Amino acid sequence: MISRAAKSRTADLFAENASPAPAGSWQPAVPTPLQPAGRPRAKQLWYAAVFPQLVKEHSTALLQRLCMHAQQFTSFVSIEPPNALMLEIKGSLKLFGPRLPSDIDARWRQLELQAYSATAPSTLAALWLARGAMGRPRQPCPGTPASTPIHIEDLGMLPGRLAELPIACTAWDIERLQTLRAMGVTRVGELLRLPRAGLARRLGKATVQDLDIALARQFAPRRAFVPRERFRARCDFETEIETVAYLEKALEPLIARCADFLRERQAGVQTLRLKLRHRADPATHVHLGLASITSERRRLMDVLAQKLIRLELQAPVRDMELISGALQPLSAGSLDVFAGRPSAGASGRDSLPQLVERLRARLGEDAVYGVVSIAEHRPEAAWRRVQELRGEKMADHPILTDRGMPRPVWLLAAPLPLESVLLILEQGPERIESGWWDGKGVARDYYIARQTRGARPHGAPLAHGARLWVFQERQSKRWYLHGMFA
Amino acid sequence: MAKTWMPRDVSTLADILADARVWRLKDASAAPTRPVWSTGCSSLDARLPGGGWPTASLIEVLLGDIGLGEVQLFLPALVECQRRVSQGGGGEAPWLVWIAPPHEPYAPALAQQGIELERFLVVQPASATEALWAAEQALGSGVCAAVFLWLKGTDDRWLRRLKLAAEAGGALGVLFRPERHRFESSPASLRLLMTQGEHEARLDLLKVQGGRPGPVDLGGTPLGAA
Repeated sequence: MISRAAKSRTADLFAENASPAPAGSWQPAVPTPLQPAGRPRAKQLWYAAVFPQLVKEHSTALLQRLCMHAQQFTSFVSIEPPNALMLEIKGSLKLFGPRLPSDIDARWRQLELQAYSATAPSTLAALWLARGAMGRPRQPCPGTPASTPIHIEDLGMLPGRLAELPIACTAWDIERLQTLRAMGVTRVGELLRLPRAGLARRLGKATVQDLDIALARQFAPRRAFVPRERFRARCDFETEIETVAYLEKALEPLIARCADFLRERQAGVQTLRLKLRHRADPATHVHLGLASITSERRRLMDVLAQKLIRLELQAPVRDMELISGALQPLSAGSLDVFAGRPSAGASGRDSLPQLVERLRARLGEDAVYGVVSIAEHRPEAAWRRVQELRGEKMADHPILTDRGMPRPVWLLAAPLPLESVLLILEQGPERIESGWWDGKGVARDYYIARQTRGARPHGAPLAHGARLWVFQERQSKRWYLHGMFA
Repeated sequence: MAKTWMPRDVSTLADILADARVWRLKDASAAPTRPVWSTGCSSLDARLPGGGWPTASLIEVLLGDIGLGEVQLFLPALVECQRRVSQGGGGEAPWLVWIAPPHEPYAPALAQQGIELERFLVVQPASATEALWAAEQALGSGVCAAVFLWLKGTDDRWLRRLKLAAEAGGALGVLFRPERHRFESSPASLRLLMTQGEHEARLDLLKVQGGRPGPVDLGGTPLGAA
């Protein structure tokens, strides 16, 4: 909050600086590099609609649905959270005629939605004008025909119409608006008369940029709404199904339809969901994650079948629904017409991702993994599991050993204390002393040893004569078994 | 004559094959015989038909105990096949899959031996049945160069399934089982027995299809080196 004294001082300062320059003297600070070639900015016409009924929490999904409706009027629809849509309608005007904005308004009324709209040559101008319309008391109630819609096509008229708007229409953050009010600015017109440099200093460059965009002096790229399509198909059973085998049979046509759906769109999915509804119990969900994007019927069926095998039905199933995840573009691999090797899937041969996902579907995600070697002296930290399997040759695996001392094929999960075991030390020692900085420090002398006689260490299935990787802890002088050569 | 159709600036075989004018008569020229991988041990190679480990078949190794050098027996072949595949280009099956190994395969050791860890897969199933199922899937998939499976025991029917899968997928399938199964019948085309001798590991060929069974003199090759 700004105190009254401060406020008046700000206002005075401001009065000194304020120049009575007309709005036309407003010069863009930044040239307009974003302007697409062949499409001058004045050629754009934006229709903005504000839906005051939309509550913030649920607005995204609703706006997306409204976008679908709006897409019948134009190919470019953009969402302005929390409650507005913007449509680029310049091109559509030719097709639908000059009544297009009121047609779109009529569409909202049909959906029983209260909407305030405006059409202007720039995105922000349309949005601000629509918000301005919302604030006016003489605006139409839902159901009644709109009074004269706000429609500006002439760039010259834009500053004049924007000037009337209260600054709240910009929907800037509270801080900026309060500062402006403290400066005595209540209308956009007053804002436009302020010196540009001072405004940028006080309220930030974004403010000036917004004004440039509103006046169509700068092009603001917007993200177009792209509908998220999904495959969704349901299968009702005549009788309740109790065995998984029948489910699998019933699933086949659904999967086939899904594969067709994907193929038509040249898309693939990486996730699928199968929802099994019961009479009384809550529905069972089977989630399916694939190792790579696919649209192949056989592969989808294979993996789902593996999932179903492991499924234990809690109750008989009345109907089931197959829902795909988000569609993703399928990257086409070119096939060699004359190649001897048939493509994966066509002949019963798989690719590795297919094999991995089949194994993971049945054995669990963690049961299938790769290993990498890490440049680290401590043996237990010199490797780790990896879930992502690439198959491409990466950088060389660094192995830190002393004079090429060999490492054992098997590493025990934890070093095993050796007691009363007679060992012949064949090679060593290799001193490994590292890791004091992270609290897991080791100070060990490693040897390659062969066991001769004596009791086996508890729990270690050791052959006498097997080659072992043992170490002596340097502080405690105790011996441990850490790995086995095989 | 050849120069008239050869593409210019050809440096590698891959470039020639990529040329649209070159057709490959791959299937026609491919010999029906299965490739064989050298064991890296000449006295063992000499005893095996074809001079190495047969692919597209099941090999059974019966172990007196683990840690006798049983992995080292196959490592040179694994390295060789991975190297050959990465040099020879696409179409081949380069992955190595180890199913239910008795301990964690130690990545630095494998890298030290020359295994490409990028194409190395470990599967740890919860039960023996799942291990067998995983092995069948991996062997039959056609993307694996070699599939190793460690088992406590299994029945003849499963072994037949594994053998069929290995024949279909063309992989080298190796099954490690305890020594106590040596008197059971097995469909494996090659059966080996590894036991601890007086000073070093002993290797016996129990069954060799197209070869002669009997003990193998490993001749001081460093079997325990890994």
